[in-house]
Amino acid sequence: MAGTTTESQESGLKPQHQRWLAAIALVFAVAYTLFPVLWLLNNSFKTRLDMFSSPPIYINGNPTLFNYIQAFVERPFLQYMLNSAIVAICTTLLSLTAGTLAGYALARYDYGRAKKHISMWILSTRMMPPIVSIIPLYIMFSYFSLLDTKTALVVAYSGFNLPFVVWMMKSYFAEIPRDLEESAQVDGDTNLGALFRVILPLAAPGLAATSIFCLILSWNEFLLALIVTNTDRANTLPIGIAGRITQYKVEWGEISASGFAACVPIVLFAFVVQRHLVRGLSFGAVKG
Amino acid sequence: MATSSVRDAASTALRLEVWVERNLRYLLLAPTVIILLGLTVFPTVYMYIVAFQKFDPSNPAASQWIGFDNFARLLSDDKFHNALYRTFEFTFFAVSIEFALGLGFALLVDKHIRNLNFIKTVLLIPMMLPPICVAIVWKLMYAPQFGVINDIFKRVGLHPLQWASGYDTAMLSVIIADVWEWTPFVFLMCLAGLASMPTEPFEAADLDGASSWQKFRDLTWPFLRPIVSITLLLRIMDAFRLFDQVYVLTLGGPAAATETLSYYIYKVAFRFFDIGYAAAISIFMLIVTLMFSTWLLKRMQIAD
Repeated sequence: MAGTTTESQESGLKPQHQRWLAAIALVFAVAYTLFPVLWLLNNSFKTRLDMFSSPPIYINGNPTLFNYIQAFVERPFLQYMLNSAIVAICTTLLSLTAGTLAGYALARYDYGRAKKHISMWILSTRMMPPIVSIIPLYIMFSYFSLLDTKTALVVAYSGFNLPFVVWMMKSYFAEIPRDLEESAQVDGDTNLGALFRVILPLAAPGLAATSIFCLILSWNEFLLALIVTNTDRANTLPIGIAGRITQYKVEWGEISASGFAACVPIVLFAFVVQRHLVRGLSFGAVKG
Repeated sequence: MATSSVRDAASTALRLEVWVERNLRYLLLAPTVIILLGLTVFPTVYMYIVAFQKFDPSNPAASQWIGFDNFARLLSDDKFHNALYRTFEFTFFAVSIEFALGLGFALLVDKHIRNLNFIKTVLLIPMMLPPICVAIVWKLMYAPQFGVINDIFKRVGLHPLQWASGYDTAMLSVIIADVWEWTPFVFLMCLAGLASMPTEPFEAADLDGASSWQKFRDLTWPFLRPIVSITLLLRIMDAFRLFDQVYVLTLGGPAAATETLSYYIYKVAFRFFDIGYAAAISIFMLIVTLMFSTWLLKRMQIAD
């Protein structure tokens, strides 16, 4: 507390003034952050006519579910949403299984000088701009007749997510004391047994946070899905939304409704992983 | 007979278990390494091959070898130069503004937000939303006729703008949307750094009568630098590959004013079907990215 007082005297502001300034800044930041999302929500309940009124309608006195019905009943947005969910869940299962094992190995075992190289190689695959890997992936998928399938998306997204899972889980495992495995082994467990019976349960919060990040990454991905999918059987939600925008016409009603629907699960997830967020965003590098 | 086969099975199982235990460190890594080899190393190698061909998408085996022709085109292709310039322009301005705002804001509210997890969560919403949704939200607000931004402009007496559909304002529009999306990321990372800072050196500095600026320069900044570097690396790499927002907000236009490298490669490969040339541009982009990230990682030494 003493530190705060001196510091604020230095900058010529009393502590209570400083607190007011911070509070005003925070209120402004929250309003600025939320306004665009709320504006989309507001728009999604407008009639086709109200949507194009000028000046725009801020308080909608005439809300309608027309856009939601249009998108999810008349148009195949429910199918897109289902595709997105299936792809996200399969991707998460696949990348979490492989990545957790590798993360554990890199946190616990000694590979000599190779260790640093393996870790960095895994990370560097993530640095690759997606557009760069997409051309060869497209050719590869067309060779295996996987174009326009959810399988192609699951395979590719698992590759995109793996480096993230490995680094995240590595950082969670590194925090679990080694003694725990050693005592499990003294009790007669094998290394693998100790991993499954002792370590994984302890890493459960990390596993949960990592899987939510994987779900979000797959749910949000656009570029690969744009190139690989082209019919309703594999189109994901972002593709469906972007498909209603052309150079000549923008279907604002459907886009607002489906766009807001695409945001809802993400906002819920954001509240769930809040505590793990900083670590997730920095690949486990910053503990937060 | 029966007992010996049971014993055989038991000893096979035991031998398998011993083998698994002995090679566990490699077996645990194997799935990840195999998947990454298949999905990143193989494609990269294949792309180098394609870059030396006049690639025929309908019959890859019949593609002609044309040596360095695709790479030579990079030198004379004005559209490629434009895309490169636009990408740097976007990356530089977007990331600079995000850092100025994010770091400044973190320093301002640091001591007052530590327990306000709800507010932190609200602030992280933009960066977690699907980029496509971020783009449609802003496209909706930018609309010149019925958009809310021009309405606010008119109400406060400013001249309405064309925003995403105007040549001079398109890049600005993409940058503003990106700043909205990613400033909270910089803010939260800096906040995490500030929260983990020890208090003793600051108390000592206060006793010595150090000024705010001196404390920032000699204590806060050196402590924050590793986190700022990681954040900078992640932001620059992400900004450098911008695609989704451009696709929705401007389609690269007007007149290629927002045509980023990713978008240009997409156009060359999947609109003009000039896959060999697209591969050559991709290799250029990959090399730039790798050179930059290795340089920054070496400087920061976060690898352990």
